[in-house]
Amino acid sequence: MNNKAYYGAFGGQYVAESLMNTLQEVDEAFEKYTKDPEFLHEVDYYLKQYVGRETPLYYAKRLSEAYGTRIYLKREDLNHTGAHKINNVIGQILLAKRMGKTKVIAETGAGQHGVATATGAALFNMECTVYMGAEDIKRQALNVMRMEMLGAKVESVTSGSNTLKDATNEAIRTWAKTAEDTFYIIGSAVGPYPYPKMVKYFQSVISKEAKRQILETEGKLPDVVMACVGGGSNSIGMFADFIEDKEVKLIGVEAAGKGIETGEHASAMALGQPGVLHGMRSYLLQDEAGNVQLAHSISAGLDYPGVGPEHAYLKDSGRVEYVAIEDDEAMDALMELCKLEGIIPAIESAHALAYAKKQAKKMNMEQSMILCLSGRGDKDVNTISDYLAGKGYLN
Amino acid sequence: MNRIEERLQKLKSEQKKAFITYMTAGLPDFEQTKAIIRTQESAGTDIIELGVPFSDPVADGPVIQNASYRAICQGVTLQGVLDMMGELRSEGVNIPIVFMMYYNTVLHYGVEKFVNACITAGVDGLIIPDLPKEEQDEIRKYLDTQEQAPILIQLVSPVSKERIPEIVKDARGFIYCVSSMGVTGQASSFHRTIVEYLESVKEASKIPVMMGFGICTAADLEPMKHTIDGAIVGSHFIRLMEEHNYDLDAVRDYCETFKRELNQ
Repeated sequence: MNNKAYYGAFGGQYVAESLMNTLQEVDEAFEKYTKDPEFLHEVDYYLKQYVGRETPLYYAKRLSEAYGTRIYLKREDLNHTGAHKINNVIGQILLAKRMGKTKVIAETGAGQHGVATATGAALFNMECTVYMGAEDIKRQALNVMRMEMLGAKVESVTSGSNTLKDATNEAIRTWAKTAEDTFYIIGSAVGPYPYPKMVKYFQSVISKEAKRQILETEGKLPDVVMACVGGGSNSIGMFADFIEDKEVKLIGVEAAGKGIETGEHASAMALGQPGVLHGMRSYLLQDEAGNVQLAHSISAGLDYPGVGPEHAYLKDSGRVEYVAIEDDEAMDALMELCKLEGIIPAIESAHALAYAKKQAKKMNMEQSMILCLSGRGDKDVNTISDYLAGKGYLN
Repeated sequence: MNRIEERLQKLKSEQKKAFITYMTAGLPDFEQTKAIIRTQESAGTDIIELGVPFSDPVADGPVIQNASYRAICQGVTLQGVLDMMGELRSEGVNIPIVFMMYYNTVLHYGVEKFVNACITAGVDGLIIPDLPKEEQDEIRKYLDTQEQAPILIQLVSPVSKERIPEIVKDARGFIYCVSSMGVTGQASSFHRTIVEYLESVKEASKIPVMMGFGICTAADLEPMKHTIDGAIVGSHFIRLMEEHNYDLDAVRDYCETFKRELNQ
């Protein structure tokens, strides 16, 4: 057993033998270049000049007054391409280039990671193929168009349930065949070691900035830091620099879909059943026979049956509290942020907002909370409009 | 003695090569699966790989993915496959049988409970493609301490290279050489240095070396026939059965022909 591949009982490298050497090469390159000042300088350069970092830590005054505690929004929605996903893509793609790879592949559900990867591939002149479930291609036509405009090939996946988990399977299969010249850019804090470690590293820029920013404005650490959790990339980035600060309460918000009790949800940790999928051991939604169950959430970005292994560990160790928010609660919070702050958040981020409202009831105006606004809601306008039509929200 | 080791020893003494097939359990149903296994036993197939279906078979190509998916839709579970195995053994079927499955299925069933159930049902070996050497400690704790436990078959790939000695070191049964990169069922565009690779595995291994992935007929094996100790046919066999509506004569004909040509 490779101990460094594990977070407590979670993580590991549950992949075909043919990928083991590849994973080791990736790990060695990652360890080497993240100690190389030139590489780090290049990552910083693109994050600043291209992505537009640092992102503001915005004090949401009206929201704070409405909810009853001082709420700061970490504005990852203001990044180029509209979400935090690009932070990790820039890092991994520069690493791929250093390793001499000429092609990149990625999986995508809603299309955000696919768009970010296609963007990075265009920027660094690499051939890019994005695997996307046939079902998601129908639901996210606009993002498919974006990826194609950026020069990526979008490969429709028609196996199993035709969604994100199947797209990931297909990306892994392709990778196993083509690893000699192809780098697999995983977008979430999932997959076999060293991927969860790499994604955390490249996303931790979120909490590094946020910590400095809150100390500048508040003069002290926040009481609460929270983020939504699908696979767990924005949340692990948002938590990273606060994990050692035990006085800061960390909260991860999963998607409860139509309600945990309905079975139609995406909360891998609510039921607490460990399993193995996509090269990692972690909490996993599965049926009585041990087959992976489909996740459900109105937010495509949270619609994943597993969760990153470090989150599973942080849950078991008690360091992070994981909660779940239903579709309706998230949509209400989304509309509230639009009206109170003039910000249209991604439905993913709205899950964290919805729990912020609940958490704030236990807090006061002397205390503060940082919430990761992981992405903007432009991509969700169709979903939002369908939802509102169905619910008659505006009537 | 384990049925796989017994069979391979016999083949060695007869200077024959092993013919191994893969089939997804429960297709078209358990009764026919049993009939196909019996037919293969009499047709000369040496070892059968029985696929336990899983929802996310990342090491399999489209043919086995689809078979796996159909089996799940029909309600095939690990427990069902174990029950069928137990029946076959009590009915006197003695051909070595290896489960090909994914680790989540084992984990979900319970590792210790699973190993014990395999012993009871007469399962001779396990192939778990998402369980590389580094992750095998947990299951080997139960496999290595029980005489009757199935053998965990070790896989090597054309890019395993310096990992090969460690993988084959205490391997039992046979070494499963993945011939092409990636997943099962790919066309016969064998990896460019395939023969060299097979020779390197053969040299490192004290036990028989079998080649799988992308094989249709015995003729495909011409370039490496003298290096390997046997061949595994998966996707092509599944496709063949589907085309012939799981007809037993077609199965018999294919297995007899392959086995004969392999040993000519």
